[in-house]
Amino acid sequence: MTQTDMESENQEELRLLRESVRTLFDRAGGVGRSRKLRDSGGGWDGEMIRELAEAGVFGVAVPEENGGLGMGLAACGVIAEEVGRVLAPEPVVATVGLSLGLLRRLCPDHDMIGRLIGGDTVLATAWQERGPNGGPAEENCRYADGKLTGNKAWVVGAAEAQGFLVLAKGNTGPVLVMVEAGADGLSVEKLTQADGSTMGELSFAGTPAEEMAGGVAVPDALDEAVNDTAALAAAELVGLSERAFETALEYIKTREQFDKPIGSFQVIQHRAVDLHVTCEVAQAGVREALALMDSESDPKVRARLASRAKARAVTTAKKITRDAIQLHGAVGYTDEFDIGLYLNRALVLSAWLGDDAYHRRLWFDAREGEGAAQ
Amino acid sequence: MTDWNAMGDAEFRKEAREFFETEYPEDLRHLPHRPKFAEIEHWHRKLHAKGWVAPAWPAEYGGMGLNAAKLLIFYEEQQRWGVNRGRDMGVQMVGPLIIKFGTQAQKDYWLPRILSCEDIWCQGYSEPGAGSDLANLRTRAELDGDDFVINGQKIWTTMAHDATHIFMLVRTDSDAPKKQQGISFLLAPMDQPGVEVRTITTLSGETEFCEVFFDNARTPRENLVGELNKGWTMAKALLSFERIFIGAPNLAQNALGQLESFARGRGAFDDPAFRDRFAQAALDVEDHAALYARFADQLKRGETLGADVSMLKIWVTECFQRITELMIEAAGPDGGTVGPLQVGNVGVDVLASFYKARPTTIYGGSNEIQRNILSKAVLGLPG
Repeated sequence: MTQTDMESENQEELRLLRESVRTLFDRAGGVGRSRKLRDSGGGWDGEMIRELAEAGVFGVAVPEENGGLGMGLAACGVIAEEVGRVLAPEPVVATVGLSLGLLRRLCPDHDMIGRLIGGDTVLATAWQERGPNGGPAEENCRYADGKLTGNKAWVVGAAEAQGFLVLAKGNTGPVLVMVEAGADGLSVEKLTQADGSTMGELSFAGTPAEEMAGGVAVPDALDEAVNDTAALAAAELVGLSERAFETALEYIKTREQFDKPIGSFQVIQHRAVDLHVTCEVAQAGVREALALMDSESDPKVRARLASRAKARAVTTAKKITRDAIQLHGAVGYTDEFDIGLYLNRALVLSAWLGDDAYHRRLWFDAREGEGAAQ
Repeated sequence: MTDWNAMGDAEFRKEAREFFETEYPEDLRHLPHRPKFAEIEHWHRKLHAKGWVAPAWPAEYGGMGLNAAKLLIFYEEQQRWGVNRGRDMGVQMVGPLIIKFGTQAQKDYWLPRILSCEDIWCQGYSEPGAGSDLANLRTRAELDGDDFVINGQKIWTTMAHDATHIFMLVRTDSDAPKKQQGISFLLAPMDQPGVEVRTITTLSGETEFCEVFFDNARTPRENLVGELNKGWTMAKALLSFERIFIGAPNLAQNALGQLESFARGRGAFDDPAFRDRFAQAALDVEDHAALYARFADQLKRGETLGADVSMLKIWVTECFQRITELMIEAAGPDGGTVGPLQVGNVGVDVLASFYKARPTTIYGGSNEIQRNILSKAVLGLPG
């Protein structure tokens, strides 16, 4: 088989994956389903988690010998784009990138992997901590004798997850532990996000926890998992941006003023073209970054690629969702029109794991580091 | 004759690279201006001897006969090694048109002369009243015996003062119902009493653009290419492949490399705000290259490019301009100084780069025209 044949076979696999995930979401009601879930108090749909699991979504990046599909980040990105298009609240990226990203690297034989892939359980991952000034701070959470004490912040899916993966300091070094939802001494404070989801602030007071892994492998695996997740969040933002743009495009073709569709005015047309171009550049850039991450093993280079993807996707999503509101005019400012849902989700995904300015900084520093190393 | 297309991509790239790296004269690498023929004649002779003057022409006409994939590699390597395109209007524009629409006699006469640069061509399309609205052109050609008699004016004619011939779009029917319909494609010699060339001094002080005035200039009837009044459709048919090159990443990539070494030398990276703007520009170039690769892959698979390829040009030219603006920013108080600025032992001509970037959003269909095309042909917007 030639290289071209392999590439086209790979492209065909990704196309089928995209189609199956898109069909699944569309049958369930698309963005309308996501609106209903938001209106009924946020959270996700357990039935959808099982359907996604049946479609193989959670195990895409897990190696085949550990029960996954072993398809890599580019395939995860295809799924994330589809999640973004319909604003699905299910924690697909967080599960694939963080909880499974950690477990498959640190304890590939643990039976929790099968439960996550099968959609039987959802785990939220907690690693960041909030300092006295409100911003991120050094990790201070302690684990000793099977008990966890301390605080964690910015935990996605904390309100709905059946358990938590928590990074902590053990007696002999860093550890990854698992805590059940509702465990003794665990309290969860919910911070409502712009899209109706919540982020959790966790506090542990002698909370019972199971040690999953320990040693320097833990922070290394965390860095890798966070990079993967940032890149996948970028793909989610690309899908979101595309659908937001399509929504605005449909609107300017139908909305009439001065007896014409507003999309016939040149100023509107040129703005629409700029959004389209921005979107295409982001799609190409983010997909390329994910594909390069799949073929790259140096964690520093992978981190730079993840930052490239997230920086591009955030800049794009900000621009497109905001301009899409403007193209809608006054109705864009109402909750009734879907375009606002896209803006709100973009706000949340942009802030999560670092925005564009933050990632450009990381990208620049990584590039300088590589230059100095050469 | 070598069948280049039978070679592997990597092998062909190596072949092209070695030739451009070792054979191209060092003093002509990354030439900042368009050369007159005399300046690059030596290089042209080498290319001609190797049979590499016309990479896209079929081998039967003396070209390399490269397919799309090989052609992209050829141009990529040419650009990477700073090889000047030379006076390639004949090869790029006239030749393909004659090959596609010309008579056997026209092919036999003109094509070898293009390859040898015995004839050097300039392009007479734009007029004072026909820029973005090119079909509005008014330069007339009327039959008088065996000759066409040409009257009117062309403008922005690149290097007309160093050309022996002009290929032009002229109006041959003023009564056609649509203005696109009465236009023909005509070849004419420059060296005659009825043709006057005046150079135009640009903002950067260069004189590569010209005005060309026709006052009863004459050209033999057999210099009409294709059918009378069908010139517009023919000229448009040529553009599809060229449109990806006008959106190629190389100009912006080269400028970015220049910006980086200049900014580093001048200590501009000490400023976090500058670092961020640099990162934005660099990522704009990287992600554009990813999009360019998508279109290039389309070509390699043998697909025709659609109107959406215009977005490459919009993005990369505007990005190129931002990069050169950052160079001025990094120059600080030297930002208005003409000529090379010293950084270490290298001179960087910041203003030359800035000026070079300005017309890129205007030529080849201004970016506003590109946006009109995309809005209608790709987004399907009305009106």
